Amino acid sequence: MILLKNATIFDGENLGTAYEDLLLKDGVVARRGTDLSAEGAEVFDLGGKLVCPGFIDLHVHFRDPGYEWRENTESGARAAAGGGYTTVVTMPNTEPAVDNPVTVEYLVARGKKAGASRVLPAGCVSKGRQGKQLAELALMAESGAVFFTDDGAPVSDAKLLKTALLYSRDLDVRIMEHPEEPSLSAKSQVNEGAVSAASGMKGCPASAEVIDIQRGIILSRETDSPIHFTHVSTELGIDAIRQAKKEGLPVTCDVTPHHLSLDETYVLVSRFSSAYKVNPPLRARKDVKALWDAVADGTVDAIVTDHAPYHLDDKDVPFQEALSGIASLECSVAVVLDTWAKTGKPVPLERLLELFTSGPAALLSRPWRSLGSLKEGAPGDVTVLDLEAIQRVDVNQWKSKARVCPWDGEMLQGWPVMALVEGRVVMNRLKDPE
Amino acid sequence: MEWRHKNLITLEGWTREELGFFLDQTEYMEELLNRPIKKVPALRGKIVMNCFFENSTRTRASFEIAGKVLSADVINWSSSGSSASKGETLRDTVWTLEAMAADAVVVRHGEVGVPDYLAKKLTKASVFNAGDGTNGHPTQALLDLYTARQKLGNLEGAKMAIIGDVLHSRVARSDIQAFRKMGVHVTLSGPATLMPENTASLGVGYVSDAREAAEGADILYFLRMQRERQEDGLIPSIDEYHRRWGATDSLVSLASPRAVVMHPGPMNRGMEIASSVADGPRSVILDQVRSGVAVRMALLYLCLGGVR
Repeated sequence: MILLKNATIFDGENLGTAYEDLLLKDGVVARRGTDLSAEGAEVFDLGGKLVCPGFIDLHVHFRDPGYEWRENTESGARAAAGGGYTTVVTMPNTEPAVDNPVTVEYLVARGKKAGASRVLPAGCVSKGRQGKQLAELALMAESGAVFFTDDGAPVSDAKLLKTALLYSRDLDVRIMEHPEEPSLSAKSQVNEGAVSAASGMKGCPASAEVIDIQRGIILSRETDSPIHFTHVSTELGIDAIRQAKKEGLPVTCDVTPHHLSLDETYVLVSRFSSAYKVNPPLRARKDVKALWDAVADGTVDAIVTDHAPYHLDDKDVPFQEALSGIASLECSVAVVLDTWAKTGKPVPLERLLELFTSGPAALLSRPWRSLGSLKEGAPGDVTVLDLEAIQRVDVNQWKSKARVCPWDGEMLQGWPVMALVEGRVVMNRLKDPE
Repeated sequence: MEWRHKNLITLEGWTREELGFFLDQTEYMEELLNRPIKKVPALRGKIVMNCFFENSTRTRASFEIAGKVLSADVINWSSSGSSASKGETLRDTVWTLEAMAADAVVVRHGEVGVPDYLAKKLTKASVFNAGDGTNGHPTQALLDLYTARQKLGNLEGAKMAIIGDVLHSRVARSDIQAFRKMGVHVTLSGPATLMPENTASLGVGYVSDAREAAEGADILYFLRMQRERQEDGLIPSIDEYHRRWGATDSLVSLASPRAVVMHPGPMNRGMEIASSVADGPRSVILDQVRSGVAVRMALLYLCLGGVR
């Protein structure tokens, strides 16, 4: 039993106006009220800190199975807890790929054994992530897959994508598309724009993203099946999704902390530090602005890290040799809060918090949708934020195996200080219970 | 002038005054090259490592000559004969160079940003960029500037046309940077498929028609054209390219009366430049090569502690 006292409570929709208490019992939310007491409960006096439904990250790479020297389920789940996330969705671009129920079950079991944040696997759309034949979607759904995606790559074959949309429609599991038209993005290293012009490196144009998004929207309309676009990075791409939503189509999307906080100029200013190499690439300033506008107007449904850990031998190399990806699980919440505060709080706090809680929860399959609230009876998943806390990012303290990060050494304001999964403390930077 | 640069990775941080001072120093160095005995003890006891991970003839030779004229010990570390071909990471190579007490590392590499990477990792040695992928070739830009200044005098307000495959050219990128700093107006020309998406961000103009770019120009700079661009489908044929953007007598005749024709070499005669232009009265291509040695002498001299 855990009693969180004197907290400002965000319940997934609204922000409380007075200090309240929250009692967690038997792994679920038991009561919300003022001046609660419970005999035998561990009591944490939060002194006004923010209690939220446990944060959910719909897009992480834990490299398990196959690339465990970069990350594995245990290090990843612990990193997620350290970063204030209580639930993460792992991408299936592993070796072998997660394209069958057995591997899904393996990951669920590995996640439970890690005893940190909840690990929910995504399965592949296609067998072996080859983009040719449909994977066993229904069996993977039964085994606990919460998304289907060939992430790392798009489902390039339009017929296959249409088939997957139709087939998954009644499985209550969404297709997550990595929007990229490969013929336009091939061999690209940076955004097509100022950095590609200045360095001569091949640029990835915005058209590569929006063409795939438009294709997905058209197929979603035709099949009447939901589609989710992940790590949307361009103004054009987000505009297309806004239009589709206006039309009432079941189209959703997420954006990443790095595309919300960094633009392409960091590649030049850092003199080609590989920490800034990521796919989709860091975009122009106008794209960053467009993503924030989309956060404000409700076009964006979730913020996801796309946590992409690598070994130093993959990443501490010259820019063009380095693999693409940013590892940020353990600082991404602070990155978003810090950027939000420093850009003059462009959206209300509630809106921002929705994108870590009720927003992503609504995209999960039915058993997990209550993760986004703190109603009585909801899972006892809680993330506690201290918006005033200022702390330096230090990759050497990370639970993740990654050691390259764009924000390493930076002072950021606004950090998760406690995380609970089913009423169990998985991260605590507060003092001991009273 | 107190010389504050230890490395030359890019000319971005160099001021116009520094460029001017550098070109003056280069003049002294060229005088040295005219002496019967081309050797001074300025850099005796210094070790210069020539690390060429990509083929090069003139840049490599000219760095080697520059070091030797100044009495530095120059070691050639080539990728084929070294551990780079055995799959050693660049990180390990760097630490090896450091352990061997190199005072300067001259690096050419096929990838953008490798000299930056070396400069971040090396704690003692100077790093000189001898060409990194499509990104930069700053000593080429310095020798081009030096040659142009020798022929034309003050470059302020001069007009320059850079014609060819700008998209893949590190020479074009460094020259744009350097010539703009000296007050030169730069216009690019070439097929749109061989231009960066965003030429305006480079601070230069672009015209498709080479004749328009050449009209009244004081410097005509032709870039190397590679056959693989045709294979990549970026141009339909070499012949079409030569007719529209190649250095021909008729194109050169449109330039200003004092105009010079430059090319970074090696030339593909009949492709981006006709022999009559390459060997013609406007061509300063061999002067560029000679300037290359003097420029690299000045660089080694200034950055390795000649005047402190």
